[in-house]
Amino acid sequence: MKKVVIINLSPRKKGTSMMLANRCREFLSVRDYQVEILHLYPNLKNLSALMAAINEVQSIIMVGPCYINTYPADTVYLLEELEKNRDVLHGQDLYGIIQGGMPYVHTHESGLKMLELFAGENDLSFKGGFVIGMGAMLNGQPLDKLLNGKKAERGFQHFLENVVKQENSSSELYYQAQLKMPGMVYYLMAKMMNRKIDKERRGKGIGDQVKRPYDDTGIN
Amino acid sequence: MITILSDHTRQEVGERLDKKLREQKIATEFISLTDMNVGPCYSCGGCTDKTYGQCIHRDDGDIILPKLMRTDVLVMVTPVKWGSYSFKTKRVFDKCAVIGDRHYYYKNRELVKGKIGRVHTFVAIGVKDQWQNDEKSAFENLVAENIKIMNIKGRVHLVDDSNISVFLDSAAEDLNQ
Repeated sequence: MKKVVIINLSPRKKGTSMMLANRCREFLSVRDYQVEILHLYPNLKNLSALMAAINEVQSIIMVGPCYINTYPADTVYLLEELEKNRDVLHGQDLYGIIQGGMPYVHTHESGLKMLELFAGENDLSFKGGFVIGMGAMLNGQPLDKLLNGKKAERGFQHFLENVVKQENSSSELYYQAQLKMPGMVYYLMAKMMNRKIDKERRGKGIGDQVKRPYDDTGIN
Repeated sequence: MITILSDHTRQEVGERLDKKLREQKIATEFISLTDMNVGPCYSCGGCTDKTYGQCIHRDDGDIILPKLMRTDVLVMVTPVKWGSYSFKTKRVFDKCAVIGDRHYYYKNRELVKGKIGRVHTFVAIGVKDQWQNDEKSAFENLVAENIKIMNIKGRVHLVDDSNISVFLDSAAEDLNQ
């Protein structure tokens, strides 16, 4: 039986990254894989459990959110610590999954490139990944709830089949799955989301042009 | 105001750039990340709820973020690891969402987000001992996406030992304008 570890790079244990991690677990565990999901954030002070798990497996899947166009800072920390403990890296396959709020693949894809460059320097075999837009809107719901749900589901399924076979997964899969809408739709989406943000602010008693709290801290 | 945020790990480009700008009587704020302790963004939603516009967790972000809110030009000087920002730099960048404009805008047929505070120009300076081509393009792409999503002006500079003097002269002139 092959072993795979899925590392949740999100600080949240419930949300879109974990939904995707669970999808990976369900798919792989019925296909002769022993699967373990480990969370990065509760282990930040002591990464030994993650290191030990990585050392044991044939494949690693890193799944996380996109913060300002790539994975969160603590993913960089994890990679730096792995580099310091290179003896746990010995040719395992590495796959990445990144999900973010914007609907476009290009917004989030730098995260996968970081994993690819890391793998190249550290005796791992980067085999591709999957990018999912509008992950924030999804907020942990199944992929088929996306506006491009059918395409995203199909592409992600194909990606998982690649993982099972330990094959390279092409970026074409997530490019084909991405939401493609006329510009006018995005314009209207912006209007709609802004209205929601402003309504929410007013609901909390905060005006649209309120002075920011950091202006008032007196800390500088 | 120009604010230089610099992760000094293995590089002193930020400090040298600050000195050069000050020699030219350009107002700068220099923030070294060396002794700063900025925690992670836990995506808890506190900054859009209980403590609107402010991180719910107390750390040195309380020192850095108010300074960033007052700046017009943000210069981030960072060692580059695998085509990305250093851990320390990225911790600060992740928290900048707190002071970012939450609204969406429509530009070049796509959705984009708003500015951080009143920053109108973002300059990322990536530092490495030696650049490989694929890492150069990875960092350039990442910064281009940052500039695009923040809907501001900006540019990226790639610095190593071979071009540092030329870079400092041209960057100082560029920022002076």
